[in-house]
Amino acid sequence: MSRLSFRPRPLDIHKKLPVVKSVKEFEDDEAPSTTPSTRNSMLHRLATENDTETNQTLSKKSSHEIPTPQFNTVETYERDYSRTFIQTTSYIRGRGARAEIGEFVEYDLDDEDEDWLEEFNNERKIISSEKFETLLFKLEVLDHKARERAGVITPTFGAPIRVILHLDSAAEALQSLSVRFAILQSVYNYWKTKRERWQKPILRRLQPPPPVNDTNPYNVFRPREKAHRLHTRRMQRRENNVQSFEKLRHVRRSLDQAKRVVEALIKREEKKRLLMECEVNLQRVQMKYKHEAQLIEDRMVFPSLQRASCKLASSDDDYMDSDDTTNGHPYARPASAHPKYADSKLAMVSTGQMKRELKQGSASNGWLQKRDPDEPILLFTRPLDPDKLAAAGIMQPPCPPAENGSVASTYRFNGRIGRGGRIIFDRCNPLL
Amino acid sequence: MGSLKEVKAEDGAAPSSNGAAAAPTATAGPDNPTRRGRSASAAVLPLEVGTRVMCRWRDQKPHPVKVIERRKTSSGGPNDYEYYVHYTEFNRRLDEWVKLEQLDLDTVETDVDEKVEDKVTSLKMTRHQKRKIDETHVEHGHEELDAASLREHEEFTKVKNIAKIELGRYEIDTWYFSPFPPEYSDSPKLYFCEFCLNFMKRKEQLQRHMRKCDLKHPPGDEIYRSGTLSMFEVDGKKNKVYGQNLCYLAKLFLDHKTLYYDVDLFLFYVLCECDDRGCHMVGYFSKEKHSEESYNLACILTLPPYQRKGYGKFLIAFSYELSKKEGKVGTPERPLSDLGLLSYRGYWTRVLLDILKKHKGNISIKELSDMTAIKPDDILSTLQTLDLIQYRKGQHVICADPKVLDRHLKAAGRGGLEVDVSKLIWTPYKEQVLCSLNLQVAAVAAPPLLKI
Repeated sequence: MSRLSFRPRPLDIHKKLPVVKSVKEFEDDEAPSTTPSTRNSMLHRLATENDTETNQTLSKKSSHEIPTPQFNTVETYERDYSRTFIQTTSYIRGRGARAEIGEFVEYDLDDEDEDWLEEFNNERKIISSEKFETLLFKLEVLDHKARERAGVITPTFGAPIRVILHLDSAAEALQSLSVRFAILQSVYNYWKTKRERWQKPILRRLQPPPPVNDTNPYNVFRPREKAHRLHTRRMQRRENNVQSFEKLRHVRRSLDQAKRVVEALIKREEKKRLLMECEVNLQRVQMKYKHEAQLIEDRMVFPSLQRASCKLASSDDDYMDSDDTTNGHPYARPASAHPKYADSKLAMVSTGQMKRELKQGSASNGWLQKRDPDEPILLFTRPLDPDKLAAAGIMQPPCPPAENGSVASTYRFNGRIGRGGRIIFDRCNPLL
Repeated sequence: MGSLKEVKAEDGAAPSSNGAAAAPTATAGPDNPTRRGRSASAAVLPLEVGTRVMCRWRDQKPHPVKVIERRKTSSGGPNDYEYYVHYTEFNRRLDEWVKLEQLDLDTVETDVDEKVEDKVTSLKMTRHQKRKIDETHVEHGHEELDAASLREHEEFTKVKNIAKIELGRYEIDTWYFSPFPPEYSDSPKLYFCEFCLNFMKRKEQLQRHMRKCDLKHPPGDEIYRSGTLSMFEVDGKKNKVYGQNLCYLAKLFLDHKTLYYDVDLFLFYVLCECDDRGCHMVGYFSKEKHSEESYNLACILTLPPYQRKGYGKFLIAFSYELSKKEGKVGTPERPLSDLGLLSYRGYWTRVLLDILKKHKGNISIKELSDMTAIKPDDILSTLQTLDLIQYRKGQHVICADPKVLDRHLKAAGRGGLEVDVSKLIWTPYKEQVLCSLNLQVAAVAAPPLLKI
C-alpha cells in the first residue's frame, strides 16, 4: 500500500490529520524504501540522539552565526537627556502632530545656518541660535501661508517653489518677536538666498512629495494613487479631522436628546395603558353589576348565560371599540319605549346571538351587550357634560314652536364622547 | 545624491588616465614596496571596481571581498584611495569603506571580463555580474526578488551613505543605504533625537534640539503596558514627519524596505522600554491599514543595541495578537531578511509545537490556523521543514513525538518576551474608522427622527 504512495496528494487544510505521538509507529509500518524511510530514520535519530548539530532539517544558521555591525554607548547621554519623565497610571493618549497643536519650532538649524550665524554674530552675540531658528521657522510658515492664500500650493513637487513673502509683511507679522529690523532684514536675505538655491522650502514638512510617476529611486515618499474605490458621497464625508469630530459631538448630543424624549414617551404610554386598564376594569365591574341585576330582574337566569357572561366578562383581550359595539348591536336604543316587550325580545335575541357568538368562539364580540333599559353601557365612553358643551358652543337646539297643537317632538339626543375624544350622537333606532 | 554621482563620474573617468600613471607609482608606493614589486603586474592601483581580493576584517583575519566602490581619501595624496568592499561570505550589511592597507594585494584576482549569458534571464552580462547574482541567490532573504529587480535594487543601494548614527544612548554602525534627503546624504554620521526621530548632522544641533523637544515617547496612543515595556500605535497619516523619520531610520538596518510610497497608509507599532528619561524605542513593526494579501506586518526591526534580547519575537507575537483581535489570520510581508526569517521560524515552531505537545486527538491545519492566527501556508511550511508531516497509507500524518518536538523546540531558541493580552487595550483600525462612519450615518438619519 505505502509503496504506491510515492507522490502524496495535496494536503487538505480542513481535514483533520491524525497526530502520532510516537515516532516508532512510523518505523514499524514502512518497509525500507527511498525517501520515506530516510525521513523516518532521521526522525528516529532525532528522538534518540543528543547532538542537535546533526539535525539536518535545521540547516539555517543560528543568529549567533550571523555577524552584524557594531555599536557603542554615547558618553554624554546622561547629560543630554534629562530625567524628567513621569509615567501616568493610565495609558498615554496621542495628542496629534506637534505641528498642528502649538508653537513648537519644528525647524532645526543645519550646518549652513550655523556657519552663517557664527559669521554674522562674529563673537558679538547679535542674535542667539534659538532666536535665529525661530525666525527661520516663522519665515517658512509665513511664506507657506502666503502661497496658500495665493493658491499656488501644489500637491506634489513640480516646478521650483519660489518665495512670495515680502520683508515688510514678515516684519509686520513678526513684531511680537521684538527683533530689530536690521537683524530681521539680514536673516530674511539669508533665508531668501538659501531658498533660491534650494528651490523648495527648507522646512521638511512643507516640502511637497515627489510626483507619483517620478522614477528616480533616490526620491521617496510619493503619495499613493487613490485606490479605485467606488466614489460615494459618504466617502467624501469620511474625513478624520476636527470638523468631523465636531459633527460627532453634535450627533452625540442629538442622540442623547432623542434618548430622553423616547424615554419620556415610554413613560407616557405606560401611564396611558395603566389608565386604560383601570377604565376597563371599571367598565367590567359596572357591566357585571348591571348585567346581574338585569338578569335577576328579568328572571331569565340561564345558567349557561351566566357562565358565559362570566366567562366573557373575564376575558382580558376582548376590548370592544365603542363604535363597533354600537354598530354590532343596533338594539341599543337611546330611550326606552316599550321596555318590557323589548326587553324580553331583545334578551332572547341577544341570548341567541350570544350563543351564536359563543359557538364562533367569540373573541371579537366579547362583551355582553347590556340590556339596561335606562342606559346602555357603552364602553370607554363618557357621558356628555352639558356645561362643557355649552362652553364649547354646542347647545341643544331650541324647541321649535308648537304647531297646530301637535306634540312637539322632543329632540332625543344622547351623545357621548367616543373614540379619539370625538362627540358622537348615535342614530336612534327607528324600530324602537 | 550629489556625492554618489561624483564618485561614479570620477570612477568612469579615472581608469583610463590613471591606468598609465599607476604602473610607475605602484612600485614607489609608500605602503608595501616589496610586495608591490612582486605583483606589480597583477595589482594595478587604484584597484578597479569589481576586483576580488582578501581583506582584513574586524576579527583581524583575511576574508574574501569584492570592491564595490572607491573614492579618493580626503587626507591623502591624489592617488590615495579608499575602497568600499563587500565581504562575500556575509550579508551586505557588513560592507564598509576600508583603507588600502587592509587589502592584501598579493591576493588580487585577475578575472577576465567575459560576457556570459544568464540562464534565468538570458541577459548578457559579465562574469562578475553573473557571480554576483549567483551569490545573492544563495543568500537568505533575496530569494523572493527576481533577478532584474534585485539588480536594480542593488544598483542604487550599493554603498551605505551614512556610516554611523547616534540614537539616544547608543552610537550605531549602519547596515544599509537609506535614501535620506540629499542635504544629509554625504554625512559620515547623523544624530537622531531619540523621541521625535528628527535627524541632524552635528552633535550641537542635536543638543540644541533636545533643549526644546518636549516629546518623551512616540507620538500616538499607548496600547500596551506591562512592566517597563510599552507599545505605541502611531498613525502615519496623523504623524507624518515622525513616520517618515522612522522609515529613514529603519531603512538603515533593513535591506529590502522600500520608501517609495508615503507613510499615510501605514500604522507603526513602536516598542519602548520606559524609565525616568522617557520611553525609549527598542524596535518597531509597521502594518498596512488595509492589506489585500492579509499581511499583518510590513517591516519589523529591533535596533541593533537591543537585539538578541527577545524583543524581536515579542514584536512577532504582538503582531499575531493584533490579528487575533481582528479575527483574521496574518502573515508577514515578503521578502523576510535572514534574521527575520530566523525569528519567524523560531516563533512558528514554538507556537505550533507547544500546541501539538498538549493536543489530544486529531487536528487540522485549519484548526491550528484558527487558534494561532498563523496562515495555513506558514504552518505547512514550518511543519514540512521540521519534517513533522508525513504521507503514509494514503493520508497525511503529523508526528508529535514529545522527544522530537523537544529537540526542535530547543533548536528554535528561547521564546521571546511574552505578550500579556490582558494588558492590550486596542481597537482595530477599521473598527475605529467604522465607528466614526456609523455615527456619521446616524447623523444623517437622526435629524428626521428628532423632528417627530
